[in-house]
This record gives sequence, structure tokens and C-alpha cells, in this order.
Amino acid sequence: MTEHSRPYGLSRRGLLRAAAVGGTVATAAACAGPGTTRGGRSGAGAPSDVPKPVSGRADARISFAHWRAEDKKVLAELIGDFTARHRGSGVQQDISPAQDYQANALQRLKSGAVGDVLTAFRGAQFADMLKAGLFTELSAQTFADHYMPRHSRGGRDAAGRLFGLPYQLVFLMPLANGDLLEKAGYADPPQDWDGYLDLCDKLKSRGTVPLAWPGAEPGNAGQLFNSMVMNNAPHDDACARIESGKAKVTDDWFLRILGQYAQLRPFVQRKAAGTQVEPAQQMFARGSAAMLATGSYHMAAVRQLDAEFPIALVPPITVAKGERPRYVGTHNATFILGVNAASKHATTALRFVEYLSTPSVATRYANGTAQHLTVTGVTYENKDLRDTQHWLEKRTMLAPRYQIEDIDMLNAVEGACAKVLTGTSPGKAAEAAQRVVDQRRRK
Amino acid sequence: MSAPSPSPVKTGPAPAARPPSRERGPGRARGLKRRYGHPAFFLFPLPALVLYVIFFAIPTVQAFQYAVTNWDGYSAEYDSVGLDNFRQLAGGDDLFSNAMTNSLKFMLVVVVFQTLFSLVLASMLTRNSRSSTLLRAVFFLPTILSSVSVAFVWKFIYDPNFGLANRALESVGLDALTSSYLGDDGKAIYFLALTQIWFHTGQMMVIFIAGLQQIPRELYEAAAIDGVSRWQRFRHVTWPMIAPATGIVIAYTTIQSFKAFDLVLGLGGNPPQGSLDILSTRIYTSFANSEFGYAAAESIVFMALIALVTVIQRRTVKLTQSGA
Repeated sequence: MTEHSRPYGLSRRGLLRAAAVGGTVATAAACAGPGTTRGGRSGAGAPSDVPKPVSGRADARISFAHWRAEDKKVLAELIGDFTARHRGSGVQQDISPAQDYQANALQRLKSGAVGDVLTAFRGAQFADMLKAGLFTELSAQTFADHYMPRHSRGGRDAAGRLFGLPYQLVFLMPLANGDLLEKAGYADPPQDWDGYLDLCDKLKSRGTVPLAWPGAEPGNAGQLFNSMVMNNAPHDDACARIESGKAKVTDDWFLRILGQYAQLRPFVQRKAAGTQVEPAQQMFARGSAAMLATGSYHMAAVRQLDAEFPIALVPPITVAKGERPRYVGTHNATFILGVNAASKHATTALRFVEYLSTPSVATRYANGTAQHLTVTGVTYENKDLRDTQHWLEKRTMLAPRYQIEDIDMLNAVEGACAKVLTGTSPGKAAEAAQRVVDQRRRK
Repeated sequence: MSAPSPSPVKTGPAPAARPPSRERGPGRARGLKRRYGHPAFFLFPLPALVLYVIFFAIPTVQAFQYAVTNWDGYSAEYDSVGLDNFRQLAGGDDLFSNAMTNSLKFMLVVVVFQTLFSLVLASMLTRNSRSSTLLRAVFFLPTILSSVSVAFVWKFIYDPNFGLANRALESVGLDALTSSYLGDDGKAIYFLALTQIWFHTGQMMVIFIAGLQQIPRELYEAAAIDGVSRWQRFRHVTWPMIAPATGIVIAYTTIQSFKAFDLVLGLGGNPPQGSLDILSTRIYTSFANSEFGYAAAESIVFMALIALVTVIQRRTVKLTQSGA
């Protein structure tokens, strides 16, 4: 036996050596180039070959990744129907909380292990997923014809090719208590800025908070931004221009928006900057606030709080008296449905999206979840959906806030509006926001 | 080839006993076994070691590698940007410097008040009486709640219109003290700190109670014989004797306050507004913003900051306790 041999196979020194070797190997592994393990296409985004219209049977078990936990039951019923029609198929819902989905979906879905059918938020997430080559092109799919053409823009790339189908349609403008507006003399909503301020003044003089604004939650507080921008912006892509550096937060048109925010100060609830969305909903549902500055996606929640009054959508129209507004409201087409380019069961995934795109199935989904959809031929049985259905045909703008894809820039720009509404001067708020935008652009 | 030179001959006496590592043969094996136990025992830390390497060591090394790139987190391509990310962090990122300021304010308030409150509570509840045990359980209760639950509870306490805090102030005529709490840019971080203190004081109290119960009673008896005041007894007996517990509490509280992530997102939304943004949430936002390389650089600065603060704190605690 030599000096270095050991009576046992493993000694402490041996273990330490093994750990050192393991650590070195691990370190070397760690030094592998980032992203080198990613499968699928490279960052260019679009594939060269457009998948043909789906044919063949749906006979595989697939995963459907989304964040709509509140829709789980309705989707489970629809999935039950789908799997009964397609023997051998199965759809497993993979549901993440919305915030997690926003942050992690791209990393989770790129392998194709989950999310044969996937969803994306409109804006930054869809753009990133598209860039990562996650979506199968749907341009040739006949079921895409079931969607309202003007609402499918959010699912296209820069060249106009269709990769995702925006399924849900929400109107991002304040909800209003029809009874209180009528009592204030505005059975018909005001059509200019002076009229809007007059409405708020009359509501306030009657002891009602004109506008419940959830200032403590940037996601909801920012919805008012859409209505304030729609008729003030010189171009439809003005917010995208802020991000690209072609426009500034300190430009006159944006300062005009901030000035109008300042005019709304007396009409939001006291200490609005600290109000979460649930108390704001509560104020609206109880009738202590006449309007709720969020969007149609809160109609169901307000009804659950026993609100019985008629609900209308009343956006602030920011034009001068006598001036014709370019837009009468804003919408967002979101919950973008798509098929994962890395899916091993593309036929079943396409068949499932085709199934969800059928008007009769979409009708069940819409009424079960109290959401408007972008699918044509949907029959709305829910009273609130029916009462606001006419907005589907109106001249509404695709929500401008989502044109800013950088999260920090969006927060800075919307944050400037929120700060003005709670007391900061427009000039100061604009300069602070522009400084962040400039810093972000330099990165 | 030259012949090997003869090795020097040892003339001195042989050592009485060689260290075990120099032994050979079965005798040495028995020695090893006696000293370290059966070699199979070395396998026991292996799972932990593997997990540590995979989930801690590798990501830490990778963070340094990513920090000098502009990798977005998903693309196959990326560019090396050298130290640009660190330069941007040093001078051209208001959001990062704001988050760092918030983190330091938050940490300072939490460390001071959480340590103070937990020490006071522990001093009052050191005895193992029935009422003390009950009160310990009550104060410990928030610790077992999840951060999300705590955030949910405090969101409603802080609500300016329906919340408990403003209603309580109004009911006793202190309307002037009502606030928008998390909506108040200048004070929001302190209200966040208050929630964190409420959340974890009970946990730190338990560590202090364990430390206080280790102090020999003879020391207090001697102090009583010397006729010292309560303050002198605390300053010259209790405080030096609970040095290990204080060190643990402060170090743990510091790291815990830097890690307050889910509580911030629960109270402030995702991403939180600037007044509630701390370093951990800032890094998460960069990550969600597809700036993986930049987020890695932020993480390295964060890691260095925690190390620096911890070292300073440990030295400060040592100094105060050695001078006591």
C-alpha cells in the first residue's frame, strides 16, 4: 500500500477534492454563454415558413398557459367539451398569477415543456415573446377570420403578420353610475373638457366624490392615462415616440395633459394617492363615488359588491367646446392567444385555439367570465356586457399606455400624471419623468 | 545521470507521536475512523452541497458573467458591454439610486426599531410564567403569517378612506395626523418599515429571550449586592452578555430587511411606485424588463452592499459591547 492509498474509498480530503473539481466544473458550466441552451429560432422573430391551415386530428395532451385564474372554471367546462369532441386529446391549464406570468412566462415557455397554447399581455410581453420566436405564425389559419380585424392589430408583428389572437376586449375608461349622472343633469355624457369639469363640479356639489381613483396601484391608476391621451396626443403613436425619443414628456401636448390632470385634483377622493383598488370599487359600488377611473374589466367586481345602478362608460373627452374629438374612448385587446413554436403537439394546440375562436364557444366564455371578446358573432347575455356592447362599434383608440414597452419608462410617464393629480406641478413632474426616460434610452 | 544525493540523516530523537495524517496502514485507518467517524458520513452533506452549488454557487458565478453583457434573458445573442452596466449604475440611473436610498432608510429603521422593540419585549417576557408564555405566543403570531397575508391586512389598515389607522386617529380627534400612508411619497418607506417591524419583532424577541435566559443569575445577584441601578445592571451585565444574540438579531434583521420583497410587492404592486421601490424589487423590475445583464450588475452591487453593511454593523456591535 503506497503512502497515498487509503483504507476506504472516500476520505475527507478526497471529498474536498471532489467538491473542488465539482466546483470547477460547475464554474466552467456557469461560464457557458448565456442563452446557449435555448432551443427554437433565434431572436429574429418570424419564421420563414408560414404554417398551413390546420388539418388532422387533435389527439395529444397539451398545456394551456395563462394567468386568468378567475376563468379557470369556465375554461375547464370548455376544455371538457373540447376533449369530448376530440378523443385522445387533453388540455391541462397551467395558471400563474398575472404578475408572475408577466415576469417569468418567457423563460418558462421557451422550452415548449409547458404552454403548447400560450397567452401574452399586449405590449412589452407580446413583443418580447415575438422577438424570442415563441409564437407560431397564424396568418394562414382560417379561424383567424372569426376575429374583428381592427381588434387583431395587437397580435401582429411589424410586418403585419399574425402571430397571436387578442381574445378579450376591455374598455379602459371610467365606469359611471348612470343614476348619479342623470341626477347631476348629465343623462348624456359630456363631450368636451369643460363639460366634463362641469359634470364633476355638479357631482361634487351634490356631496358625491366625482372620481374614485386608485392612486396606490399604478396598474389601475394608469388606466385614466388612456382617456387623457387619446385626444391630446398629436399622433396615434405619440407614446411610442416618447419611448423612441422622438417626443418628450416636456412637450406642449404632454404638458397640456398634465395641466388637465391638475384640474381634476378637486374631484378625486381625499388622500387618493394612498387608495387601493378595492376601496375605490367599494366607494363606487356604494354610490359615494360617481365614477371609477379604471375600466370595463371591473364591472363584474362592482356587481359582486351589490351595485344595482346602471353602469355606463364615461371617458373624459379632453377637447375644447365645439371641437370634434378624434376618439370617443379607448380599448385594449389583450389575452393574446397563440401556439408555442416549440410545441410538439402543434396540431392539437391549433385545434384548441380554433375551438376557442368558434362564436358559440366564445359566447360561453364571454358570458361565463363577463368579458367582451374580439370574436365576431358573440351573443352577450350578461346585462352589463349587452349594455356596453355598442362600444365595440365606436371610434375607440387602442390603449396608448401599452405603446410604451419599457416598464420603467411607462411608470415614469404615468407616474408624472399621478404626481400631478396629487399635487406636484406639471413642469416639475414632466422634467423628472423625462430624466428617467432619457436615462433609460441611454442604456 | 547523476546519482541522487543522499537524504540527510536525522540525528535527533524521533517524534513521540506523528499526526494521524502521517500514519500508514490499518492503524492509521482506525485513527481516522475514530476521529472522523465512518467515511460514509462524508456522504451526508453531499445533497446539501450539490443543491448549494447548483442553486447558489453557479448562479452567483453566472451573475458576474452576465453583469458585463447586455443579455436580455432569452436571446441566443448578446454583446459584451464591459463595465458599462456598472458605470450606468454609478452615475446615470436615478431609479437605482432611489431604490438604494430607500433600501438603506428601510434597513436602518427596521434594524434599530425591530431590535429595540424585540429586546424590550424579551426583557419583559423572559420569565417562564403562564402569562409570559401566552404573550410570547401573541407577539410571535405575525411571524407565522405569509408576507402576502400581512400585506393584505396592512393594505386595509393603511387605506386612507376606510382603513383602521385613519379611523382610529379620527375617532380620538387627531385628524391632523391622518395620512395617505403608502401614497405619501416622503413617508411611504417608513410605513413599509412599520409593517416589517410588526411582522418580525416577535421572531427576534424569541432569540433575545433565549440569550437572556442564558445569563447566570449570580451576575445579577452580585450586581444587586453592589447596589447598581436598573440601567447599570442592563448596561454592564445584560448588554455584554447578550452580545451573541444581538449579533444574530442585527445581522438577520439586516438581511431580512434587504430581502423584503414579497411584502413590498404585496403592498405597493408590481412594480411598486418609486417611493416603495427597494433594491430587491428594482432588480426584479430590471429582470421583468428583459434586462438580464443589467439586473445581474444590480445584484452584484446589492450583494456588495449587504456585505459592507453587515461588516460595519458587526464591528459597531462589537465596539459598543466591548466598551460596556
